[in-house]
Amino acid sequence: MKTNNMLITILFISSLIFGEEWYVKKSSDNLVKFSSSTPVLDFDGITSEIDGYIYWEGADLFGKNNELYFEVDLNSIETGIGKRDRDMREDVLEIDKWPKTSFRGSIVKVQSIGSNIFEVVSKGLIFIHGHKKDLEIKAKIMIGDSTMNIKCDFSVFLKDYEIEAPSLLAFIKVADEIKLYLDFQLIKITESKN
Amino acid sequence: MKKVLIIMLLGFSISNIIAQPSWKSKESSSNVKLALFHSTQTANFPTTESLEKGNWMYEISHRFIPSVNEGIESLYGFDGPARIRFALAYGITDNLMITFGRSNNMDNYDLQVKQKVLEINSPHIPSVISILGGIAINTGIPRNINRDKFDPDNMQIYLQGIFNIMILDKKIGIGVVTSYLYNSFIYSVEKQYTLTIGAYIQYYFNRTWSVWLESNSIAAGYQGRIRLDETGKSYNSLAIGFTIETGGHIFNIMVTNNSRLNSSQFIVGADRGENNDAWRLGFGIIRYF
Repeated sequence: MKTNNMLITILFISSLIFGEEWYVKKSSDNLVKFSSSTPVLDFDGITSEIDGYIYWEGADLFGKNNELYFEVDLNSIETGIGKRDRDMREDVLEIDKWPKTSFRGSIVKVQSIGSNIFEVVSKGLIFIHGHKKDLEIKAKIMIGDSTMNIKCDFSVFLKDYEIEAPSLLAFIKVADEIKLYLDFQLIKITESKN
Repeated sequence: MKKVLIIMLLGFSISNIIAQPSWKSKESSSNVKLALFHSTQTANFPTTESLEKGNWMYEISHRFIPSVNEGIESLYGFDGPARIRFALAYGITDNLMITFGRSNNMDNYDLQVKQKVLEINSPHIPSVISILGGIAINTGIPRNINRDKFDPDNMQIYLQGIFNIMILDKKIGIGVVTSYLYNSFIYSVEKQYTLTIGAYIQYYFNRTWSVWLESNSIAAGYQGRIRLDETGKSYNSLAIGFTIETGGHIFNIMVTNNSRLNSSQFIVGADRGENNDAWRLGFGIIRYF
């Protein structure tokens, strides 16, 4: 009898702490876009090379010990002009030293705003150009059968990461504020791995 | 039997209790091409760099004809006149670009194609080889010459092999360019050729400022005039200057003894030797878009 009780307890505990993990679905049309501006000209850089995961334990959505980590391969960013891409890689972001930028954090607030649509707040550390900084990001998450779509936008400021604003036109410098927009898919790995 | 079951369940549970995300970061898979010099050309030579597919480049260059020795009276040559080149280039692929240019020197038009052929991505001495082929036509024929503007004799063909390396953490770029020009002097009864060995070195202080020196030595073949109103021979070319890079623009400012801008004219040599009046100011502006 004792043995049976122990088994039931173990199974119950296991069911409570079973982890759920979602990976970025790399075959999707993921988008990471930054926008920069000067008084006379704006430009964007885009990439689809985002990777990472969301993980939590238990049955509740984004439940116990939830964590998320996303990284972007900076080598893959394209602004439409090869020379500008190269200057950005070599001189602005110094990609030979820090080839990726990342965000590691957890979801601290979840609010349902529709059928399987949630507004969440995530707090964590963003890593850019060798520097980490606390960041709070609001995102909208839509959950399908086995896929999850995340959309968010936020700003970073170059001076916070000791990045010297490059010139965009002859002597006009890029603004310190860089706006970021992300729209990407994740897939539940217990059902299918990308 | 029960013991075995308990052990299995315990193992399963412990693995869950210490559950961690299984996701692992991967190495960057982006294929970034080896890039050495910061531009597709120096003041007078091609580099091994190419425009990326779909990108454009515009060039405007001046070489002032009065010598800097004329002083303030001619604003050190800036009063002109000047040899001028305009050019527009386009990236057909990431390794192949085409350039169309014009110089007011003999109304020379040129069309050239440059292909990157070999990248050696050594951590110590990265190097790249490119080849360039061009065709030029000189349409500024003097009125006393009985020849059509588009006469085949006005055409020139040239081929250049370009070798670039970067050393000292990409602070110093070195280039060697071997050039062959056919029909060096378009008024010659017998077709002439010129073979030259060019070299350039550029030191990058930072992403904005650099200084450079370049020369082109005539190794074999024709070394005479290119215009009927010139006298004497052509000379080995020398130019020294500095470059400012900012916001997609590259500004080259220099002194040189060669006012010839288009490749089929530059290759023949400098229009002045090494005397005091040889040195002229020049500049070039390149814009990538």
